[in-house]
Amino acid sequence: MREMLEADVCVIGAGAGGAVAAAELAEGGARVVLLEQGPEHDADDFTARPLEMLGRLYRDGAQTTTLGTPPVLLPLGRGLGGTTLVNSGTCFRTPARVLERWRREHGVELDGAELGRCFARVERALSVAEVTPELAGANAAVARRGAERLGWSHGYLRRNARGCVGSGVCAFGCPTSAKQHTGITYLPRARAAGARVITGADVQRILVEGGRANGVQARLAATAAGAAAGRGHEAASGRGDRPARELEVRAPRVVLAAGTIHTPLLLARSGLARASGQLGRNLVLHPATAAFALMEETVDMARGVPQSFYVDEFAAEGVLFESVAGPPSYVALALPLTGARHAAAMSRYPRLAQFGLMVSDDSRGRVHLGGARAAELGGDRVGALAGRSANRVAGRRVGTRDRVRGVGRMGGPLIRYDLGEPDVAKFRAGLARLRELFEAAGAREVYLPLPPGVSPERARARDLKLMAFHPLGTARASADPARGVLDGDLRVHGVEGLHVADGSVMPSSLGVNPQLTIMALATRLAYHLLERPCPS
Amino acid sequence: MSRPLDGFLAAAPAPQRAGLRALLALARRPRGARLLARFAPAAQLTTGLLAAAHFEADAPARALGWDAEAVVARGRALRRAEGRP
Repeated sequence: MREMLEADVCVIGAGAGGAVAAAELAEGGARVVLLEQGPEHDADDFTARPLEMLGRLYRDGAQTTTLGTPPVLLPLGRGLGGTTLVNSGTCFRTPARVLERWRREHGVELDGAELGRCFARVERALSVAEVTPELAGANAAVARRGAERLGWSHGYLRRNARGCVGSGVCAFGCPTSAKQHTGITYLPRARAAGARVITGADVQRILVEGGRANGVQARLAATAAGAAAGRGHEAASGRGDRPARELEVRAPRVVLAAGTIHTPLLLARSGLARASGQLGRNLVLHPATAAFALMEETVDMARGVPQSFYVDEFAAEGVLFESVAGPPSYVALALPLTGARHAAAMSRYPRLAQFGLMVSDDSRGRVHLGGARAAELGGDRVGALAGRSANRVAGRRVGTRDRVRGVGRMGGPLIRYDLGEPDVAKFRAGLARLRELFEAAGAREVYLPLPPGVSPERARARDLKLMAFHPLGTARASADPARGVLDGDLRVHGVEGLHVADGSVMPSSLGVNPQLTIMALATRLAYHLLERPCPS
Repeated sequence: MSRPLDGFLAAAPAPQRAGLRALLALARRPRGARLLARFAPAAQLTTGLLAAAHFEADAPARALGWDAEAVVARGRALRRAEGRP
């Protein structure tokens, strides 16, 4: 059974880009259908228990991992709000040096005044404000003390939060709904303006006819959605025992915002955007790691805003330090220790501090479609690579051919990323400085995320324990169709009416948390589609 | 295995799920734990997962000053009082 809907714009994905585009377009008078693969999450179900919430709020239980050296854990949110539901809420505007690089290297001209209006509009919508020292808590105070003693540039971060009381679990579902993620800001606006929001919608293909987008085909999950239907959005399916249904949305414009990992896969599955050879390539991650320190004083790191403070002394070198913290079970998972040392450190949890470092990476990765699914599609360049070369390459490099083939058979993404030597050097310097920061703050012991006996100066790529929260670049914008997937207006080269509005559009690393940039670009795109200027 | 750990593993992609279950089974046996101790990444992973499951429970977390129930209750009260979503 296939259901049909008609709209002016079909938006795919309800995260930072899709929710913003849907709300602005709907308020501008467009008939919008928004399709989201995940569910709607209810704050009443948030338990402040990290392990439990990882399994419920994240794609693959936050265990999406890159293949390469070193493997990088890549936690991605899933559901209304996307990763904005589970991020730390940090808000940076795009650095001027990055915008200049995009102009110089890719001919992407973003009008400064127009972009400034878009940023201001997003910041108002999300109540962006600087964290106060009181709310930042003692974990931030430790880093501030170290930075002040060393004379390093630092400050409190700006965040999208309103009425925050420092619950300490931003990444595991904000129990007070203080974090202004798009699921509770832009999506209610979209619905109020008449947008149809459909959860459990797994988009299979973007439809194109005569070089112009004209709709989307999706499969609606057979999930129970009785409670969700009462909140004013379309249920994915009536009951768990009903078969999945097909949905076709006919729309002359499609805004794709499935995220940096899934957007190129959907384009590839649809046989689109392959001419440049760049689709799925140019993946950057902002790889990150964190160290712990045992302090003399009580820190109680989960009391306060986990990500509230930054040190940007070395930002020009591609290294940004940001605070990070969480409850005991989160720390137990993250501590780079084993056996009795792990147990001893956990017994001193109230005196532990943590701080992270994030690298603006020059390394480039690639997203492939899993093997069996790629083989079914046949003839698709990205898919074919997944079917043969990716398995072969990944099998050789990581020595786990069967595991890689296993991932491929599941039809999910294969994410290949190797950390290059220049980025390894940034981690060496960054970890040494992180230790310096903690020692200047008076740490009794510092626990670096390195194997026993390995100093920061001698660390190799395979010694690093990395996570990444900001995948970007797999459908990058470039004025030159031979070098990019999209033009400067985020339109897919060669396809009228098909636009992208997520992290995949970025031509390079940002060096800062990307949610605000994604939202501002989505705002700009929405006003371009409405053919009117973004209001000041 | 604890309920939160079960849920966490169930959400993992199939290859990781199988690998993690095998590693955790090894880590629970004295000989297996000694074997894992030779491989720092695997030892950190299993130590971390088992400890995380332990500290997810109320009593061990409260002993370290973290009361998840109280955090949730405060959040619920704030949302009700101020009409937050």
